[in-house]
Formats: sequence, structure tokens, C-alpha cells
Amino acid sequence: MTPRTMPRLAPRSVLLIVLGVLLVALVVGMEQLAPLFRAWFPDQNPAMYERESFLNLTLAHVALVLVSSLISVGVGVGAGLFVTRPAGREFAPLVSTLAAIGQTFPPAAVLAIVVPLAGFGFVPTLVALILYGLLPVVQNTVAGLGTVPPQTLEAARGNGMSAWQILWHIELPLAMRVIVAGVRVSVIINIGTATIGSTVGATTLGTPIIAGLVGNNLPYVIQGALLVGLLAIVTDLAFERLERRFSFGASGATP
Amino acid sequence: MIELQGLTKRYGDTRVVDDISLTVEQGEFCVLIGPSGCGKSTTLKMINRLIAHSEGRILVGGEDVTTLPPELLRRRIGYAIQSTGLFPHWRVAENIATVPRLLKWSTSRINARVDELLALFQLDADDLRDKYPHQLSGGQAQRVGVARALAADPDVLLMDEPFGAVDPLTRDALQVELARVHRQTGKTIVFVTHDMDEALRLASRVALLNGGRLVQYDRPAELLVDPANDFVRDFIGRADLGLKLLSRRRVEQYYQPAQGTRDATITQAATTHARPTWQVDADNRPLALIGGRLEEPATVRTDVNGEWTATPDMSMKEALSRMVWFRVTALPVLDDQGRLLGEVTMAGVMGHRP
Repeated sequence: MTPRTMPRLAPRSVLLIVLGVLLVALVVGMEQLAPLFRAWFPDQNPAMYERESFLNLTLAHVALVLVSSLISVGVGVGAGLFVTRPAGREFAPLVSTLAAIGQTFPPAAVLAIVVPLAGFGFVPTLVALILYGLLPVVQNTVAGLGTVPPQTLEAARGNGMSAWQILWHIELPLAMRVIVAGVRVSVIINIGTATIGSTVGATTLGTPIIAGLVGNNLPYVIQGALLVGLLAIVTDLAFERLERRFSFGASGATP
Repeated sequence: MIELQGLTKRYGDTRVVDDISLTVEQGEFCVLIGPSGCGKSTTLKMINRLIAHSEGRILVGGEDVTTLPPELLRRRIGYAIQSTGLFPHWRVAENIATVPRLLKWSTSRINARVDELLALFQLDADDLRDKYPHQLSGGQAQRVGVARALAADPDVLLMDEPFGAVDPLTRDALQVELARVHRQTGKTIVFVTHDMDEALRLASRVALLNGGRLVQYDRPAELLVDPANDFVRDFIGRADLGLKLLSRRRVEQYYQPAQGTRDATITQAATTHARPTWQVDADNRPLALIGGRLEEPATVRTDVNGEWTATPDMSMKEALSRMVWFRVTALPVLDDQGRLLGEVTMAGVMGHRP
């Protein structure tokens, strides 16, 4: 195959692939960098976090974000749909206020409240992340459904679509780009916020960071932060690609 | 056939549509017209129950519209709106297939119908089928919008200012096309506009509304020559009533036999004719007009070109306009082969009773 016929990759796609490979390589091979960290921090011993493998930490972190995001998205999109239907319209201010409270509450405070109720570990972190991730999803669901032109809805009704058919075939596809943008914000926030779950005993990539902060071990902090940062960037780039899939012509192309 | 019986719409104490009764016969092109807020759009939308009526009855094809679930009713009535309301995430073919898909037609039947409709609107199927609405010109998008309304072959077509958002040239072409489609399909059409020229051009009947009430329901010609009151007269526009009337008339109602001759030396002889003479070729195609120019002697010869000719289906307004523009007192009326059928003359326009 000559270079002329090769499909050209957008620079963003190249970046996504490069960073994705780097992330995977670091997750499975961080331990190989031990000599580097030892050379960088000769006074620090140990200079490599070894109480748990970075693969396990990453998988636990991803699982936490995935579960919390799925619940946030389910509840958030559901609430957004509910308040944009005729039956739920009067609840719109209430729902947006509740979602806003969820976001203004610092996750650390949520942990402080939930730990006495649910104990340490995975569950309180999950609750904090769900509450924290709800607002962007609700907001963008409502905003996305609001971008569907009234003429489009009138045409759908006038052509004999039922309310469900309009929602499923017209409103959701047209709102999807904005909804996905909200999910993107929610997930990225939660990738970062999940790290503080380690303060209440959840296993996340925050574990080496907290251990490093407590034990004054800078290499631990760097190792955890590097992976969390990369994970967030790669996820963000992947969502960007997903969003672009849902642009439809002139109305959807403008960000 | 559509019957409105004492149709009323109230919002609180305001009657936006007040006791309207009218019948639109099968195959009729009924235009609802009136100033903003006169209730014309509301009336239209009550027919397919996009807006619920407060009082009265609506019968479509003899059936009360409230006897059917609204979705089923709407799938039987075509609906086209301004700026088309095409679904931006669906291709042209999918947009046109909206109602057939709701009715669960087979794929092959849907494809055949889409092609048929694209052909009816003289749209290139190969080029447009797979395009998205934002890739279409305004005129193409409007045609697709009307094609979508016709997709399931409804007897009745409702159109809410469908050409309100396109430029005047495109609008003109769309009107010509809609008139043709109406002739070809024989659909019953209810069409809302605020543009009197559009109404006179398309309608077989005009319903003029004001303040929610029906002021006059008549054929366009009657509306022009016999307006019910001053409101109607003002709304039509007193100043160019005559031209509006001509826009409703066709050349075929006006043209007279023409004097044709094959004599190429007619120039000299022309002075003996009281009326202008057409020099024609062996197939009776006009080559030149002898005389027929106001400011010049009756012997002057003007070569016929395609621009100052008329066809039987041309409006008299356009024929008059061509006479004025090309400064001739007669136009040759040609059949589709370009042969001389007759002539329309300036005197003929004046001589005809309104």
C-alpha cells in the first residue's frame, strides 16, 4: 500500500492512540521504571510503590468510576427526561436544584457524612461520586433536549409519531451530542475525584498518592498522579471522538 | 373532503378561532389567508389535532377526526410546514419514508415510493437520496418536505406556510411545482399563507379570516371582483386589483386567431393589414412580427425570439408584462411544438371583461 492510499489519521486520533498505548504500558510496566525513580530520588527508599500492583489499582479505580458513572448517567438522563416531559415539567426547578446541591457539596464532606452510615471503602466513595457526577448529566440532558428545534418536533407530531417514537427517534438522537458532552464532564470529574476515596479506604489510584502524602514520599505521589492524569486525558479524548459521531449537519456542528 | 362545522378554539376567554364553518371539496386547493393572529394556522392544526378544538366538529372524508387516535389520524393526513421541519439526522430518503415506516410498509415498497416522489418533484434520486437535510438547497429541502407529506399517499394534505422561508425566485418555482403536483395527484389541499399573490396563484378556493372569523370563502376570481366588504378589498390590495385578476387568468382564455403568412416579402404588403401579421415557416412557427410596435411604422419587422412569446398556460399577468418589457402590442401564442396557435394583444387584454 502506498502512503497516498493510506487513510489519514487526524492529529487528535494519533494523540489518543499514543497516549492510550503509553497509559497501558505504564499500568502494566510501572515497576520497570524503578531504577529511574531511584536515580531521581536517591534519598527515598522505597522509591517505587509496591504494596499493590498498579494494574490492580487502575482496575479498581476504573471499576469505581464506571459503576458511579453508569448510575449517574442512568439517574441523570432519567431525571433530565422526566422534567422535559409534560408530566414532569413542574419538577424541573426542583431537580436542577438537587443536582446543583450534589455538585456544590465537596466530595470530602460527602465522605464524612456517608462513612458513619455505610462504613469505609468502596460504598461511601461510590455515593460521593454519584452525587458529584449527577449535575453535568442532568444539565446537559435538559439542555440537549432543548436544542431540538420546535419545528422538528411539530413535524414529528404532524407526521403521526407517538410521544415515545418522537423521544426515541428524534429527540434523543438529536440531543445525544450534548448529553454525551455532559457524561464526558461527569466521568472526567469522577476520574479525578475517585482518588480521594482512598482517604476512606477505597482502593484507587489515589492510594499511592495518599500514601505518598502521608509518608512524605514524592515518588509515590508522582506514580499515582501520572496514571490518574493519563487516564483522564485518554478518556477525554475518547469521549471527544464519541461526541463527534453525534453531530448532524449545521445544527449539530457548532460546539 | 374536509368539513369544518362551527369550529371554535378558546384560550381562556379569547376566541382565536370563532365559529368557522366551511367545506373543502375533494381535490380542492383551499388557501386559508388573513393577517397575523387571524387564526388561520390554528384552524389548520385543529384539522390534524395538533391543537385540540374547543367546540364544533371536523370531518375528514366524512369521519369525525376525534374518533381516531391522533397518531393514526395524522398518518392519514399529509403535513408540511415552514422551513420543512426535516429531521436533521435522517437522510433525504429516510425523511420521505417517515410515515410509510410508521405504517410498517415493506422496504421495497418504501424504496419504490421514495423514488416515485423524488421523480414527481423532479429531484435527482441518485444525487439526493443519501444526503442529509443540511446539504440541500432551500428549494430542495422544501420539495423534500412536501414529498414527505405525500409519502403515504394521503387524500388530504395540510400545509402551514410551507414556502414562507425561501427566496422569491425559489418560492415562485415551488408554487409552479405545487400547482402541477396538485393537478397530477388530485389531492385535497389546505394551505395557510399570509401572501395574497400566493393564495391567488394556487387556490381554487380562498378562505379569508380576520380575528378568528371567516370573512369570505370564495373562488379567487369572485374574491377579486366581488369582495364581501372593505376589509377584503383592503386585504387584497386595491391598487393592483387589475394585475391580481390578470395573474389568475391564463393566456388560453384570451388568445385570438392570428394572421400568419409564409410570404417572406410581407414587409411591403403589411401596411395593407389592419392588424399585425406573423410571418411563419413551413411548420407554422412564427419567424417575425410585421407591425405591432407602437412607436414605429406598421411596416417594421421584428424577429421573434423565445423571450416574447406566450404559451396557453402562462398567466395573463406575465403575458402583459412581456408585452410591456419587449414593447410589442402582441405576443405569439405557441403550442409545445413552437407552432403558432394565435396571438394575445394589448387590445385583447383591455377588451376582456374582468
